[in-house]
Amino acid sequence: MKNILYLLGIILLVQIVVTIPSCQKDDPDISPIGQSEVTVDLSTVPYPVLSDYKFFRGEMKYQIPSSDVIAYAPATPLFTDYALKKRFIWMPDGEKASYVADNKVLEMPVGTVLIKTFYYKNVLPNGATKIIETRLLIRKASGWIFANYKWNDEQTEAYLTTSASTVPISWLQDGEQKSTNYRIPSETECLICHKHQGQPVPIGIKPQNLNNLFKYTEGSRNQLSKLIQAGYLEPGLPANITSTINYKDQSKSVDLRLRSYLDANCAHCHAEGGHCDYRPMRLAFSETVDPVNIGLCVEPDEFVGAAYTSIITPSQPDRSVMHLRLSTNQPNLRMPLIGRTIVHEEGLELLEEWIYSKKDCH
Amino acid sequence: MKKGLFAASLLCSSVAMAQISFSSASNVAISATYVRATVDMNGDYLDDIVGVNGSSIVILYQQTNGTFTPSTIATNAVTYTPDWSLAIGDFDKNGFNDIVYGSGSGVSFMKANATGTAFTEIAYPQYVFSQRSNFVDLNNDGHLDGFMCHDVQPNVYYLNDGTGNLVYHQGGIGDHAEGGNYGSIWVDYDNDGDQDCFIAKCRGGQSTASIDELHRNNGDGTFTNVAVAANMDHGFHQSWSSAWNDYDNDGDMDAMIGSSDGTQHILKRNNNDGTFTDITTGSGFDNATGSSIEHVSFDFDNDGFTDVLSGGSIMRRNNGDMTFSQVTINAAGSSIADLNNDGFLDLFSVDFWGGNSNIYYNSGNNNNWIKIQLKGIASNFNGIGARVEIYGAWGKQIRDVRSGDGFANMNTLNAHFGIGTATAIDSVRVIWPSGHVDVVEDPTINGPLTIVEGADPLSLVEVEGKKISLFPNPATEYIAIENIDLLDVSEVVVFTLKGEKVMTQITDYAKVDISTLAEGAYIIVIQTKSGEKYSEAFVKKNN
Repeated sequence: MKNILYLLGIILLVQIVVTIPSCQKDDPDISPIGQSEVTVDLSTVPYPVLSDYKFFRGEMKYQIPSSDVIAYAPATPLFTDYALKKRFIWMPDGEKASYVADNKVLEMPVGTVLIKTFYYKNVLPNGATKIIETRLLIRKASGWIFANYKWNDEQTEAYLTTSASTVPISWLQDGEQKSTNYRIPSETECLICHKHQGQPVPIGIKPQNLNNLFKYTEGSRNQLSKLIQAGYLEPGLPANITSTINYKDQSKSVDLRLRSYLDANCAHCHAEGGHCDYRPMRLAFSETVDPVNIGLCVEPDEFVGAAYTSIITPSQPDRSVMHLRLSTNQPNLRMPLIGRTIVHEEGLELLEEWIYSKKDCH
Repeated sequence: MKKGLFAASLLCSSVAMAQISFSSASNVAISATYVRATVDMNGDYLDDIVGVNGSSIVILYQQTNGTFTPSTIATNAVTYTPDWSLAIGDFDKNGFNDIVYGSGSGVSFMKANATGTAFTEIAYPQYVFSQRSNFVDLNNDGHLDGFMCHDVQPNVYYLNDGTGNLVYHQGGIGDHAEGGNYGSIWVDYDNDGDQDCFIAKCRGGQSTASIDELHRNNGDGTFTNVAVAANMDHGFHQSWSSAWNDYDNDGDMDAMIGSSDGTQHILKRNNNDGTFTDITTGSGFDNATGSSIEHVSFDFDNDGFTDVLSGGSIMRRNNGDMTFSQVTINAAGSSIADLNNDGFLDLFSVDFWGGNSNIYYNSGNNNNWIKIQLKGIASNFNGIGARVEIYGAWGKQIRDVRSGDGFANMNTLNAHFGIGTATAIDSVRVIWPSGHVDVVEDPTINGPLTIVEGADPLSLVEVEGKKISLFPNPATEYIAIENIDLLDVSEVVVFTLKGEKVMTQITDYAKVDISTLAEGAYIIVIQTKSGEKYSEAFVKKNN
């Protein structure tokens, strides 16, 4: 019931959104100087340093976006060793993205840049905030390219890096000390997840993930309506967008929470066209309505031990391969394949809850 | 040919009685994260059990009474652990096996010391998303090289400089930019004496990186992907490993390419002309049961026909006519070896989770067998890449000695043969990577046979009824090669027993000056212009 109310709320919201006349980017309220501060020359990117793009105002480490750089966040983020993330989008003047489907990445114009900064708070020994890297996805005429920028220790600049490296880091996570060798991926590694039919693609920026409130400096707004208002998205979205939720939202059903979690953490590979689409699972939000796609009572392809008879065995986490894969850090067994080296306890608990909620194979 | 067919029919009648069955699980106490290997580590040819931790290697040494003596060897905290695979071989030829670890971000070699009691890590800085690893002498210089499948880039390999140093290379053996390399296996599919490489490939999204590759060794350190011409290109078939053996005992290596996507496995017959024919339909592999990342082939019931184990527990028994029947074994194996030295191959199984390790002992049957144990001299120490043949009433059976079958694990390096109800073997022939051939006539069956390279040489060769031979032997000043003018020689090379090349002579073959050589045993190899090699051992003695 709650669900339905929520969905109704979304529908109303979206309807409101679509009736708002779209504001243009040169709206004086948004960009007082009338033209973008940002510099993205597609013939010379990626630039050697992050500051060259002028995505941020003031001291770059505070990540205060320039006027036409818009922050966003998917309802449920990908877990990457508890790294915190800030995400932004920028498009060239007058360009707009268009809606393709609820579960498809927005069709973004040439020149678009997606910006994602990875950082930790309460970093030991002195509890500071530390930015590790900022990853860009830049849409060129030929397609998307990756550009990773590694921040210096002084947190004053980030430098383009094409090879992988690791940064040892320890921090307090809800008062508990955690440590990891944070891995900055090479371009090759980026592509493992960020691809469809072998071509580089963004992952999170789909209507289903943005159809929720985000706290902007001016207040909370629906992210899709914000993008429309900023002139970054064609208006006229469907009235009803089937949307993911924040997996932490205890007010929602375990099923909806897990499906949102799987979409964010697994579906980039376990979907048609992905790195692992030859496995039977289909973990995108739009496909997990059918629990068989999550592996409920499905025999695993790979033998990992006699006890693991199904990908999900109803009510038995200890006999469920997916549970094993989320609960181990052993690289050949863990899932996701890359992007984490420590177990995401909250995600694992959610999966357990879901497995216990299944009493049979339906 | 008639003889072969007759023998095959005899065997068929005998295998009807043979069983493949295993004991219930026998728990093995081994405290290691990665228990991926069952192979001899200390040179007694008894298969040991090897486990790896981040800062130790645990070896359970098999004793002659079938018990195991554990030893934990501390190592440094290694940079890369064998998350995806390991392979074992003695690349520095010191008599103790070394290990290569393949992790998701790089590769380490663990080099055993002179007594096999300590290991030194050599970690390579290059990013490698490792999959299957192998030790193989890929340029046929007598020294083992390392090979590693790269999941997301072209494959990498580590060429031995001849002094036990491995030099990183990328490119030339599987160069798809997106990788997709999962299961490399080194096989001499064209019977030309060098090691070719088949790569079972896998990649989602209809990527061409999923198309299998067969790299023919050109004999000069280069390789050519001949998958299309050989009919070994399987489109978007997703595979993590393939199992190779001469399933029909006709003298060439056939292949079973395992499916990892729920479609059918593929059985290919080697036509012995560089091509393969798909004979999956009706073979018993034409169902998806056992869709798995692990496929290996051994003769588990010693009936003279090699069987296939898929996914650790799906046993398909070779019926001897290129069909296979699935049998229930109630056992599982990640590594295959003879863990009680009874001539029947056992299954070692590790539950990745919880560290439960078990041996499922082969219950055996009345079939006869032989186990060939190699020691290379001019070739690599383990005889990896050697072709082992046995001749008898059945005709011929062959094996390739390989380091790195299946996907992740390491199996015995001994060459096991079952001979069914036959009671004698006419001869065992080993064709070493060096080209040297050893032949043992009428060996004792139901036991091991150790063959040291050059110790049982095929008498050099006879041409027009004249024997080509060495004299004197032992020698002090020179070795004369009688009748060598009957051969069209390209060079004569002398090796130490450690495989070190000490002399190369390209003229005046009839008399080879050995006056400068130190005292000891040597191998002389005569190579003809048409590529044949003949070798013989001799002893240098000062007066």
